Amino acid sequence: MWAYAARRVVIGILLLLALSLVTFILFFASPADQAKLACGKQCTQAQIAVTEKALGYDKPVYEQWAGFAKGVVAGRDFPIDQAQREAAPETVTHCAAPCLGFSKYYGETVNSLIKDYAPISISLAVVAVVLWLFFGVLLGIAAAVTKGSILDRGIVGLTLLVYAFPTFFIGVFFLKYVVVKWGLLDYPYYTPIAEGGVWGWLTNLWLPSLTLALVFLASYVRMTRAFVLESLGEDYIRTAKAKGLNSRAVLFKHGLRAALTPLVTMTGIDFGTLLGGAIITESVFAYPGLGLLTVQSSQAWDLPTVVGIVLIAGSFVVLMNIIVDIAYAFIDPRVRLG
Amino acid sequence: MGNRLKRMVALGAAGVLGLSLAACGGDSNDNGNKGPGGNNGEPGEAGGTLTVLQHFPFESSDPNRIYYGVQLASWRRTLYRGLVAFPMSEDPAVANTPVADLATDTGTSSEGGKVWSFTLKDGVKWEDGSDITCEDVQYGASRSFANDVIIGGPTYLLNYVDVKDYPGPYKATPEQQQAFDEAVSCDGKTITFHFNKPWADFPQAIAGLMMADPYKESQDKGDGSKWTILSNGPYKIEGNKWDKNKGATLVRNDQYDPATDDPEQLRLALPDQINWEVNPSDTAGELFNDRLIQDGPKDQAAITWARLNPAQLSQISGPVEDRYLNVVSPYTDYLVLNHKTLTDPAVRKALAVSLNANGYIKATGGSTVAEPAETIINPGVSGSQDNPAFAEDNDNNGDPEAAKAILEEAGVKMPVKIKLAYQKSPTQDKAMAIIQQTWNESGFEVTLDGQGDTYYDVIAQPDKDIDVMWAGWGADWPSAMTVLPPLFDSRPNFSSTTCGNDYGCYESDEVNKLFDDAANAADVDTQVGILQEIDAKLGEDYAYIPLDNQKFNWLRGSKVTGFTTTPASSQYPEIGLIGVAK
Repeated sequence: MWAYAARRVVIGILLLLALSLVTFILFFASPADQAKLACGKQCTQAQIAVTEKALGYDKPVYEQWAGFAKGVVAGRDFPIDQAQREAAPETVTHCAAPCLGFSKYYGETVNSLIKDYAPISISLAVVAVVLWLFFGVLLGIAAAVTKGSILDRGIVGLTLLVYAFPTFFIGVFFLKYVVVKWGLLDYPYYTPIAEGGVWGWLTNLWLPSLTLALVFLASYVRMTRAFVLESLGEDYIRTAKAKGLNSRAVLFKHGLRAALTPLVTMTGIDFGTLLGGAIITESVFAYPGLGLLTVQSSQAWDLPTVVGIVLIAGSFVVLMNIIVDIAYAFIDPRVRLG
Repeated sequence: MGNRLKRMVALGAAGVLGLSLAACGGDSNDNGNKGPGGNNGEPGEAGGTLTVLQHFPFESSDPNRIYYGVQLASWRRTLYRGLVAFPMSEDPAVANTPVADLATDTGTSSEGGKVWSFTLKDGVKWEDGSDITCEDVQYGASRSFANDVIIGGPTYLLNYVDVKDYPGPYKATPEQQQAFDEAVSCDGKTITFHFNKPWADFPQAIAGLMMADPYKESQDKGDGSKWTILSNGPYKIEGNKWDKNKGATLVRNDQYDPATDDPEQLRLALPDQINWEVNPSDTAGELFNDRLIQDGPKDQAAITWARLNPAQLSQISGPVEDRYLNVVSPYTDYLVLNHKTLTDPAVRKALAVSLNANGYIKATGGSTVAEPAETIINPGVSGSQDNPAFAEDNDNNGDPEAAKAILEEAGVKMPVKIKLAYQKSPTQDKAMAIIQQTWNESGFEVTLDGQGDTYYDVIAQPDKDIDVMWAGWGADWPSAMTVLPPLFDSRPNFSSTTCGNDYGCYESDEVNKLFDDAANAADVDTQVGILQEIDAKLGEDYAYIPLDNQKFNWLRGSKVTGFTTTPASSQYPEIGLIGVAK
C-alpha cells in the first residue's frame, strides 16, 4: 500500500515539474514581447534589452526553467543579477525553498503573493463547498425520494435553470441588482477574520460564495438524486425493507451511505480545483484570491507569478487526486495491483 | 501609448484609459457646462470625506514607475509634489504652462536649453518631518536610470542627461556615480540638470511625469519599494503602503505646510480624508457608475475614474444630468498605413479620402463618446492644429467617388485588396465594419483582421501582411514631442525584429532631420513650429489617417463640489479642486 502511495506521489511531483516546464514553453511561444511590455512606453531597443536581462528573459527557456527548479529545491536570492546584489544588498530579497520565484510586476516573491492571496480563495472555496453540499445533497435526496412528483420536477428544473446561467452572469446579477439597485446587501469586500471577526468574514463571503455554489449546486443535486435512486434500487435495500426497517432508516442508514461515497470523491476533486482560485467569481467580485491573481499576472505577462499559480493550482488538483486514488486503493484492493 | 494601451484595452468594457498626462482642450457639452475642461458643482469648503472609486489597479506607487495619466495627475495634487506642476486651470493656454511647486520658480535654462536649474523652497518636508533636499531630487532622478530595477516608468532622462553608461544608483561604480552627480549636480538647494542636447520643454516634462521628483534614499529598497509611499503633499497614506487591489485611505499630512505651496493654483486639498477604493473587477466601472446614478447616501460624496458606458448614458437625464460632464479626452485614435505594403501614394490618399470617420464614431457610441480628429496631435497638446491633408474638403463621411477617381487617375487596378487590423471587441467589430463598407465602395476589397491581446506586438512586426492598422495615443505631457517622434522617428523604433511604435514602418530622412531640428530647438515656440511642419509632412505622405478624439463621460455624487476636469488632470475629475458639501 505504501509503495503504491509513494509511487503516486512521485508521479504527482513529476507531473508538476512537467506542468511548470510546459508553462515556460507556452509563455515564450507567445508572440508578445514581454520585456517591451514591462519596460514601458518610450523604451528604446537598448532599454528593452536591459529590462529583458533584468527579468531573466534573455536566457534560454531551459536555463530559466532550471533556475526556477533550483529555487524550488534550494531557494534563491533576487534580483538574479549578481552584480546588483553585491552592489546594493539593501535591495536583495531572499526567497527560501520552496521558492516559486520573484515577481518584478508585484515587487515581491511569488511565495509571499500566494500567501497573501490564497486565504481568500480558500475562504471562498470552503464557504461555497458547505453551501453546495448542504443544499445540493438535501435537495437531491428530496428529489430522489419524491421521484416523479411536482417537487422532484421542480427541483430538477430549477437546478437545470441555474446551471444554464454562467457564473459571471449570476455574480453580476447579484452585484447589479441585489446590492446596487435593490440595496438588499452591502457591497461585499473580503474581510479577514482578524479584521472583521467570523461574522464579518462570513457575511462578506456570502454573495461570492453563493455565486460559486449555485453553479456546483445544480450538478450535486442531480448527482445526489441519481446516486440515491440507484442505491435505493439495490437488492440490499429491498432486503432491509423486507426486514421491516422503517423508510427513514432504510434511506439514511443504507441508501444514503452508499450514495455518498461517489459524492465525497466529487467534492474532493472540485474542492481541490477551487482552491487554485475561482477565476470568474473572484474577478467579478474583485476578491483578491488566486483566481484574480491569475488574471492580473496573465494580463501583465508576469511569468514567475503565472508559473507559481499554475504549480500551486496543479498541486491542489494532484494532491486531491492522490488522496482519492489512495482512498480507492483502500476501498478496492484491485487498484493496488494496478 | 502602445504598451499601456494594449493592457488597458485588454480590460475591456471597463475602459481603463489613463496613461498619459496629455492636456486636452475639451469642449463645452450639452448640459451647459462651461469652459474647455467642463465644470459643474460650485467650489466647496474644507472638510469631509471624499470617496474615489477606481476600477483598475495602479502598477506601482513608486513615483519613478508611475505612468498612468490619472495617477500622475491625482497624486501630484495629493501625495507627490514636484519641482514644478501644471496649474488647475480649465484654459489650456494657462494649464499647459507649469508653475513652481517645490522649486522657487519654473527653472532657469542656459546654453540653449541644455542646462536647467531649480532651487528648492525653504520649509518643504517629507511626511516623516525631514527636509526635502537637493540630494533627494538628485537621487530621484538617478533612479530613472536603473531600468533593470525601476521597470515600467518613463525613461526620458536616459536620453537627455549628459552621462554615459550610468546604470542607476544600485549598480553604479563610484566613478559612474561621480559622473552622474556632475551631470545632475547639487549646490546647496539648487539642482542643475546638464543635458546632452537642448530640452526646451523640460519643465513641462517634469510637471507631467515624476521622473525628476525627489526620493529619499534611505527609503529605497529597490523592488521592495514598489508599493510604499513617503508623501510630501497635503495627504499621506494610512500605513504608508498602497494596496494594489484595495487602494488606501488618505489622511492629512501634518508636515505639509500650505505656505510652501500655491493652493489656489495647484491643490486646494479640501477633503479631510480621501477613501480611495480600488476594485479591479471588469464590472466595477459599470457598477460604480450605477451607484453614482442612484446617488445613495454612501455614494453622494464619491467620484469615479470609470467612464459611463453608452448604455448608462441613456440614464443621464433630469437631476442626474446636473452631475454629469462630457469632455474631450487626451486620447486620439488613428489608422496607420503600412508603407511596406502600400507603396503607392495614390492608394494611401484614396484610403484617407474615403474614410468614414463619422460612421466609425457613431458605431462606437456617437458624439458623447468621440469626435472626429483632423490630426494625430490631440487638441489639448500645444500647437495642435488641423492637418491640411485631412481637414480640407473633408466632411468625415468618406467620399467613395473621389477615392475611385484618385485610383483611376493613378492607374491602379481595382479592387485593391486591403487587410485592416484592429484589437478585437464587439464595438470595434461593428465600427471597423463601417470603415470596411465605405472603403469597399471606393475601389478597395477590405478584409478585417480582429486581433487579441498581442495586437501591438503583431502590428509592430516589420514583415506583417497587414496594410492598415488601428492605433491610439496620448501625449506624455502637452507637447507634440511626445507624439510625433515616438510614433514616426524610424531611428529609435526600428530594429531587425520590430518597427517599434512606428507600426507602419514609415521611414523618411526628411522627417527624421526635422525631428532632430525639433529636439535641438532652444525654445518651445520654435519647437512647436517644427513639429507642425512635421505633422503636415506626415499628412502629405499619409503616414497616418486621424480617426477620432475620444471623449470622457463623468458622473459625481450629489455632495461633491468643484467637480471639474482640466488639461492637467488629463480631463479626469480634477481632484485638487474637489470638495465635499456638508
